[in-house]
Amino acid sequence: MDTLHYLGIGFGVALTPYNLLTAFCGTLIGTVVGLLPGLGPVNGVALLIPIAFALGLPPETALILLAAVYLGCEYGGRISSILLNIPGEASAVMTTLDGYPLARQGKAGVALSLSAWSSFIGGTIATVGVVLFAPLLAQWAVAFGPAEYFVLMVFAITCLAGMADNKPMKTAIAAMIGLFLSCVGIDANSGVYRFTFGSLGLADGIQFVVLVLGLFSVSEILVLLERTHHGQKAVKASGRMLFNVKEGAFVLATNLRSGVVGFVLGVLPGAGATLASAVAYMSEKRMARHDNRFGDGDLRGLAAPETANSAAACGSMVPMLTLGVPGSGTTAVMLGALTLYNITPGPMLFQNQPDIVWGLIASLFIANIMLIIMNVPMVRVFTRILSVPTWALVPAIAIITSIGVYAVHSTTFDLFLMIGIGICGYILRKLDYSLSAVLLGFILGGMMEENLRRALSLSNGELGILWGSPIALAVWGLVAVMIALPIWRAWRTRQSRNTAVADSRA
Amino acid sequence: MNSTRLSTCLSIACAMLLASASALGKEPSRPECIAPTKPGGGFDLTCKLAQAGLKDHKLLDAPMRVTYMPGGIGAVAYNAIAANRRGEAGTIVAFSGASLLNLALGKYGRYDENAVQWLTTIGTDYGTLAVREDSPFKSLDDVVQALKKDPKSVSVGGGGSIGGQGWVKIALLAKAAGVNPRDLRYAAFEGGAEHYMALMGKHVDLVTGSASEIRAQKANKIRTLAIFSEERLPGELADIPTAREQGYEIQWPLIRGYFVGPDVTPEAVAWWRDRFATLQASPEFQQYLADRDVLPLTVTGEDLDALVKQQVAQYRELGREFGLVE
Amino acid sequence: MHDRLFAGCTLLLCLALVVVGWAYQAPFAYEPVGPRAFPLLLLALIGCAVLYQLIRPSTGQHAQAEPALDRHVGRKIALCVAALLLYATAFEWLGFIPSSVLFAVAMARLYGASTWQSLIGGVVIAVGLYLLFDFGLDVPLPLGPIAALEN
Repeated sequence: MDTLHYLGIGFGVALTPYNLLTAFCGTLIGTVVGLLPGLGPVNGVALLIPIAFALGLPPETALILLAAVYLGCEYGGRISSILLNIPGEASAVMTTLDGYPLARQGKAGVALSLSAWSSFIGGTIATVGVVLFAPLLAQWAVAFGPAEYFVLMVFAITCLAGMADNKPMKTAIAAMIGLFLSCVGIDANSGVYRFTFGSLGLADGIQFVVLVLGLFSVSEILVLLERTHHGQKAVKASGRMLFNVKEGAFVLATNLRSGVVGFVLGVLPGAGATLASAVAYMSEKRMARHDNRFGDGDLRGLAAPETANSAAACGSMVPMLTLGVPGSGTTAVMLGALTLYNITPGPMLFQNQPDIVWGLIASLFIANIMLIIMNVPMVRVFTRILSVPTWALVPAIAIITSIGVYAVHSTTFDLFLMIGIGICGYILRKLDYSLSAVLLGFILGGMMEENLRRALSLSNGELGILWGSPIALAVWGLVAVMIALPIWRAWRTRQSRNTAVADSRA
Repeated sequence: MNSTRLSTCLSIACAMLLASASALGKEPSRPECIAPTKPGGGFDLTCKLAQAGLKDHKLLDAPMRVTYMPGGIGAVAYNAIAANRRGEAGTIVAFSGASLLNLALGKYGRYDENAVQWLTTIGTDYGTLAVREDSPFKSLDDVVQALKKDPKSVSVGGGGSIGGQGWVKIALLAKAAGVNPRDLRYAAFEGGAEHYMALMGKHVDLVTGSASEIRAQKANKIRTLAIFSEERLPGELADIPTAREQGYEIQWPLIRGYFVGPDVTPEAVAWWRDRFATLQASPEFQQYLADRDVLPLTVTGEDLDALVKQQVAQYRELGREFGLVE
Repeated sequence: MHDRLFAGCTLLLCLALVVVGWAYQAPFAYEPVGPRAFPLLLLALIGCAVLYQLIRPSTGQHAQAEPALDRHVGRKIALCVAALLLYATAFEWLGFIPSSVLFAVAMARLYGASTWQSLIGGVVIAVGLYLLFDFGLDVPLPLGPIAALEN
C-alpha cells in the first residue's frame, strides 16, 4: 500500500493552509482565463510562472498553483461556449453543440451547473487513474507510434461521420475543408511550404486559436448583428440554476464512459483534450437511441465533452510526470517551469521527490473539489453575462477575441486571417454547413497525414506497419464497431417495426 | 576555497566597475524578450534566463516580459524586428543555431543575417545521437557500419521538419559514413520530445537530440552514443564520447543568444551588452545555467557578429551540399 | 440558389489550389506519399462533392433560426466587417487603447446603442480590457504612439 502512503504525504503537502489558498487562487484565475475566448490554459500557466517566481513560491506550491490554473481553465472554457456559443478555448468547441442550444432554451443555469458537475466527475476519474496507473500508462503512451496514431485518427474520423445527420454531403464537405486547411504551412515530412503563398505568418500553418475564433466568434458577432437588426433579444437565463437528480442520473453513464475515454486519450501526447471531447461526444451520439436530441440541447451531448476534456487535462499530466515528456501545450509550459525550478521530471521524480509528485496529484483532487464548490454558486454570476446589453457585449467580445488572437503570434497578420476565416465561417453557417465539422477535420487532418507519412517513412513504404501492432489492430476493431453500430441499429429498428406491424395485423 | 573567494571578489569588483560604467546609459523602457516559439521549449528558456537572471542580479529595474511570437522557427519574429520594430531599444529576441540554419536556408524571407544586431550569446548546445539502453549499437562506429552495410537498416527519428536542424544532424552522420542522406530511413517528429517517446516505444532505433536533453532523458533508459562537440563536455556529461574521438569529424554546435533591431541606438546596444556581461560574469549565474542544462558561452560584440556570419555561411554551404538550396 | 453559388465558387477555388499544389515537390522524401498527395486528394474530393451540390443542391430543409438576409442587414454586415478590418489595421499602428475605443464606439453604434452609451461604453471597455490583459493577465498589448508619452 505504498500508493496510499504516498498519497497521504501528498495530501499532507496539499492541505497546508498556504497551499490550499494557492489552489483556490489558481482555480479562480484559471476560471477567468478559460472564460476569455482565445486565452486558454497555456496562457494561464505561462502567465503565472513568472508570478510564482516573483513571489518566491516553493516548487510544490508553484506546481499546485499551475495545476489548479490548468483545471480552472478547463472549467472556465465551457462558460462562454454555453452562454455565447464562443468556445473559450479549443477543447470547449464540442460543448457549444449542445450547450448553446440549452442556453437558448433558457436552461443556461442547468447547463452550466451540469457541465461543472461533469467536469468534476471527469477530473476525479482521471485523477484516480493517475494515482493507480501512472507508471503503467506511461507504457501505453510510449506504445503509440506513428502507425497507431494514424489508426486512432481514422477512428476519430469514423466517429465524425456520426455528425452527418440529415445533411451528409454538407458535413462531409465541411470536414474536408477542415482537413484541407490543416495542410497549410510547412510539411514536416518533406520541409515543403504548402499553400502559404509566400506569407511567413502561414509558415507554421493556421493556428488553432485563429481558426476557432474566426469560425465561431466572428461569425457569431455577425449573426448577433442580424438578430439585433431584427429586434430579437439575446437569450435569457430563466428558471432553475441547478440541475436536478433526474438529470444527473440521466447523464451519469455518459459521464463515466466519457471520463475513461478522455483520460485514456489525454495520456497520449499530442492527442489531447480536444480530440478526447470530440471522440466522447461522437461515440455517445452513436450509442444513443434514435430519438436523441444531440445537437439540439441533449444533456448527454453537454456532459460527454465536458467530462472528457477535464479527464484529458488530468491525463496529460501522466507523460509529463512519468516520462518528462509534455502531454499537451500546457504541460510543455509546466515542464518549462519545472526546469526553472531545477527539477528534472521523469521516472526518477517519483523516487527522488515524491512530495512534489504526490503533492501535485493530491492537489488535482483538491482543485477539482474547489472548482465544483466554487462553480455552482457562481452559475448565477456567470448567467449575468447574458443580461449585458448586446451593444456592450459584442464590442467586448470582439476586442477580447482580437487580443486572444494577437497573443498567439503578436502580429496583426492573424487578426486579418481571423476576419477572413470569420467571413467564410459566416457564409458556411448561413448555408447550414457544420462549423464544428470543419474544426474537427482540421485537428484530425494534420495528425492523420503526418502520422501516416511518418509511419511509411519508418516502414520504408510498407503498408503492413499500419496493422502491425496489437494496439493498431484493436483500434481497427473499434473502427469496425463504429461503422457497424448504426447499421446494426437500423436493422434492429426495422426488425422491431416489422414485428410491430406484424403484431398490429394479428 | 581561497581561490573561489578571490574569484568571487574579482567578479563582484568587475561587476561594480561595469555597473558604474553603464550608469551613463539609461535603461530602455518596457523591456521585453521575444521567444519566437510557443511557450515551453528552448527559446522560452532562453528568454526566461534573461528575465530571471537580470532580475535576480538587480540589473534591470522594470520587470522584463516574455512575449511569444511563433512562426517558421523564428521567421515571424525575425521579420517583425527587421521590418516593423526596428528601433525598439527595450526589445531583445532569443535566437539559436536553429534560427541561423533557417536564415541560411533562406526561410526567413527577404532578410539575411545583416538585418539585425546580434547582441550576445548566453549558452551553447551540441547535437547528439541517442539509442535505447538495450540497443545493439554500443558506439558511433556500430551505427556507421550498419549504415554502410544497408542505409535502410536503421530507422531514425528527429525533431522538427526535414531540412531542419534535427535532420541535419543525421545528414551529417550519413555524410561521415559515406552514405547519401536520401537513402536513409528517417521520420520527422514534432519538436519537443516526441522523437524520444518514439525511441522508448521502439518505433525508431536511433534519434538525434541535443546535449541539453541528456540529463532529462537519462532516466528513460536512453543512452547517448556520441556528442557532436569539439571536446568532451564538462561535469556530468564528461562520460559521453565525442564523435571526433570515435573517429568521425562531426560537429554540430548550436549557440543560443539574443538579437535586437537594426535601428536600436549604439548606446542601447552597449547598455544591453554591458548588462549581460555583468550577468554572465557572476558565478551564481553560471551555476544557474549549468543547473538548467545550458552550457555557458559568452560571445559578444564583433566576435559574435563574425561567429554568426561564419556559421550562416557554413550552413549555407551545407544546404547546397545536401541540395536544400540552389 | 445560394448553395449553388457557393458550390461554384468553391469549385473554382479548388481548381486554383490544385494548380498551386501541383508544384509541390520535396527535395527530400522518405516515404512514397509525398507532400502533395494528401492536399490534392482532398481538393479532388471537395471538388467532386461541390460538383454534386452544383448539379443537385441538397434538399434538406434549412433548419434555420435566423431570418433571411435583406439589404439593410447586408449593409450592416458589410459595415461590421469593415470595422473589424480597420480595427485590425489600427491595432498596432494606433495602439491598443485608441483603436479599441474607436472600434468599440463604432460597434456599439452598429448594435443599436445611443451616442452617449456608445462613447462611455467604448472608453470603459477599451481601458478596462487594457488593464485586465496588460496588467492583470500579462498579455503585452501594443501601446502605439502613447508609448512616447512614457519617456
